[in-house]
Amino acid sequence: MEFTEVIGIRRSIRFFDPDRPVEREKVQKILEAMRLGSCAMNAQWLRAVVVYRDQLSPETFEKLKLPVAGVIMELAPVHIYCYGDLSVIAKDHGARPKQLIDIGALAPSHGWTHRFVDEFVWPQLLEPLTQSPHYPVAMAFDNGGCATQGVLMAYEEGLGACWTAFNTEVAKEAFGIPDDWVPHYLLNLGYPAESREAGGQRPRPPFEELYFEGHASKPFRRDEAVVEELRQRKMIQAPAPLPNRQQELRELARRLGLPE
Amino acid sequence: MLERPIESYQSVATWAGGLHQQWGGDPFAEDPAKLQTLAAFCDFIAKDPDALVAFCFLRKRATGERFASKQRRDELMPKLKEFEEAGGRGVEARRRRSHVVSFLSHNGVLIY
Repeated sequence: MEFTEVIGIRRSIRFFDPDRPVEREKVQKILEAMRLGSCAMNAQWLRAVVVYRDQLSPETFEKLKLPVAGVIMELAPVHIYCYGDLSVIAKDHGARPKQLIDIGALAPSHGWTHRFVDEFVWPQLLEPLTQSPHYPVAMAFDNGGCATQGVLMAYEEGLGACWTAFNTEVAKEAFGIPDDWVPHYLLNLGYPAESREAGGQRPRPPFEELYFEGHASKPFRRDEAVVEELRQRKMIQAPAPLPNRQQELRELARRLGLPE
Repeated sequence: MLERPIESYQSVATWAGGLHQQWGGDPFAEDPAKLQTLAAFCDFIAKDPDALVAFCFLRKRATGERFASKQRRDELMPKLKEFEEAGGRGVEARRRRSHVVSFLSHNGVLIY
């Protein structure tokens, strides 16, 4: 699938084939994609625990579920519980930016030297960052980007995915989560039981209400020729609701024994 | 046993209205199992449909504001599971549970 089509076909899948297992190699590909995501100072805060639904004890599984997420978690054969490891920077002491210097990703042309990391980056940026209330927010931003690469890989591999919340206290005990890990979300994975279009591309607010050019009061003007090109390349797809979506939903509910 | 026909309860009318709005048609004529299952569950927990919905809500002492009670939901969930398991296993048993969940969700109560 072309990159643009992968973005276009990605939408939250909430009906999985509950009896079709996901191949372990596909799970690994998703994790590999997450690992290659962009991350400030190459900190790599993202942690993920892969759990196979059918290996959970019924008692633990019942406690992990939250409202709305419960049905999705029941249908998804694979759960990836995502966390951010707040201990990374403190343990690292600037070693990762130095590694980036050593491999030529960061260069003196931009001010990067080992001495600069020792004298400024670690004591005046990174160490204070770990004390800042903004630290978890910054970490979560990067982890979201990394995790999204994994989501796109899932669609590339013919899977569907849906982020949900989960009972973090139960997960902490059940999966041995360290105290330094901050819970993010759970990525539910499986083969879609619904059509890949899943009723069509979801509505979004108008482009010009979201993006700006030069000043936050000046909308970024959308070029319709670009929109048309992206339509041709299957990134912009038929909007929801597609015809017969209601019928599809009802058939899914009946086939899977779900509420109507 | 219910004191009057199940269709006469307000919460059942709300369920019918919600199903019709979502799917069209006459939901109970098309699938009589829906009402039969709800009636069986009402017998099982010894509450009529309106009382079942009312059980799921409480009012804040300070303001009198009505809210969906997590505590009540937690009380109800094991009973629903027991009801489901009494119907066996697999999709048919799940459907038995799902009719009750559908009734509750169309009345604004989320059980999962």
